[in-house]
Amino acid sequence: MTRLPDDSSEHGHRTVPSEPALRVQALESLLIEKGLVDPAALDELVDLFENKVGPRNGALVVARAWLDPEFKRRLLADGTAAIAELGFSGRQGEKLTVVESTPSVHNVIVCTLCSCYPWPLLGLPPIWYKSSAYRARTVADPRGVLRELGLDVPDDVEVRVWDSNAASRYLVLPERPPGTEALGEAALAALVTRDAMIGVARVTLPVSERS
Amino acid sequence: MNGIHDMGGMHGLGEIGHSRDDPAFHAAWEVRVHALATALAAYGKWRALRPEIEAIPAAEYLRMSYYERWLAALVEEIAKSGLATRAEIERGAADAGFRRSVPALTADKARIAALATPREELAVRVETLFRVGQRVRGANLNPSTHTRMPRYTRGKVGVVERDRGVFALPDTDVYFGDPKPQHVYLVRFAADELWGSGASARDSIFIDMWQDYLEPA
Repeated sequence: MTRLPDDSSEHGHRTVPSEPALRVQALESLLIEKGLVDPAALDELVDLFENKVGPRNGALVVARAWLDPEFKRRLLADGTAAIAELGFSGRQGEKLTVVESTPSVHNVIVCTLCSCYPWPLLGLPPIWYKSSAYRARTVADPRGVLRELGLDVPDDVEVRVWDSNAASRYLVLPERPPGTEALGEAALAALVTRDAMIGVARVTLPVSERS
Repeated sequence: MNGIHDMGGMHGLGEIGHSRDDPAFHAAWEVRVHALATALAAYGKWRALRPEIEAIPAAEYLRMSYYERWLAALVEEIAKSGLATRAEIERGAADAGFRRSVPALTADKARIAALATPREELAVRVETLFRVGQRVRGANLNPSTHTRMPRYTRGKVGVVERDRGVFALPDTDVYFGDPKPQHVYLVRFAADELWGSGASARDSIFIDMWQDYLEPA
C-alpha cells in the first residue's frame, strides 16, 4: 500500500503534522469514540481510493474500445452499462458518457462548479483539474488551456468542452495512435494516460517504439 | 448562488499548475477526509457536501486547498446534523455521558457502498417540455442557495442535444425540499454565443441542464 506523507509540505523534511492533518486526526478519533464510524470501514475506503480505483481502469476501457468495435459501439451508447461488462462501477459513474475524439473533433472535460469526475474509471481527480484556473478557463478558452498544457489543436478541428455538473460524468475516448496495429490490449492500455482521457493530451507512442 | 465556486469564464485565478503525474492525494489526511465523508454520508443526514462548500466565504474558499474545503463542509454538516457538537469536534473527544452509536457503514458494506453505481435517475413519468433539436435559453435565475446552473449559461441560447431522463432538482432536493422531478437535457452552446466573437466559431460547450434552468428560445 502506498504511504503518503503526513504533511502536504512539498519540502518533505517537516516532521510536525500540518494543521488539517491534526484536525482530521482529532475528528476521526471523536467519530470512532462515538461509534459513528467503523475504523475498519475507513481503512477499506482509504485502500480503495488510494490503491484500487484509478486511471488504469479507464485505460483498459479505452484499449478494449480500440480493439473491439462492438464494445466501442456499446460504450458510446451507454457508458455505464459497457464499463460494467469489465467490472467497473461506483459513485460518480452513473450516466457515464464517453465522447470520442476523432481527426475532426477534440473533446475535453471540466467541471466549472466543483470537481465532477468519472471516479470508477479515473479515480479521484488530480489537483490541477480542481484548480480555479482550469475550472474558469477551460469553458471560455479551451484552445488556450490545451496549448498551455502542450496540446495544439489545429484551427480546422472542432473543440467540444463538456462541463460536468449533473448526474453525467464524462470520459474522452482518445484517438488510437498510428503504429499501434500490432499491439494487444495490455500494451495499448499502457499507452493511455489520464490526461488523454480528460482530453488535455493525445495518446502517443514512446519514441523508442516508433518505427 | 452567485458564489466564488461558479468559476466558468472568470479571469485572474492564477495558474493551472498542471502536472502529468500529479497524485490524487497529496497528504495522508486528504484521503481520510474523503473516507470519513463516505462513511458519514451513510447516515443520510445530508444529500451532498456541495452547499456547505459553496457557503464558504469567497476569500476563504480561494485560500483553502480542495480537501480543506471538504473538511470544513463536513465539520459543518456533522455539527448541524447533531452527530457531534462543535465542542466535541474542537476537543476531538466526546462529551461525558454520550450515547454510543452503531456505525452506519460497516467494513463489510464499505466496498459495496463505494462501488455501487448510484441510481439518481427517477423512475417517474414527467412531461417533456423540450425536444431534441429545439433552441432553448438559459433562464435568468439568481438563487442565493444551491444550484447546478452555472451563471455563464444565463440568457444564452443553445440547442437540446439529448434528453437525459428525469432527475430531482438539486436546488430544492439537496435541502430535503420538494424534489421537483423533471427532465435534464444535454444542451450544446456555441462557444461564440457564450463568449463572443473572440471565441472560435467552430467550438461548443456541452452541459446538462434541468428543465427549470431553461426556457424556450
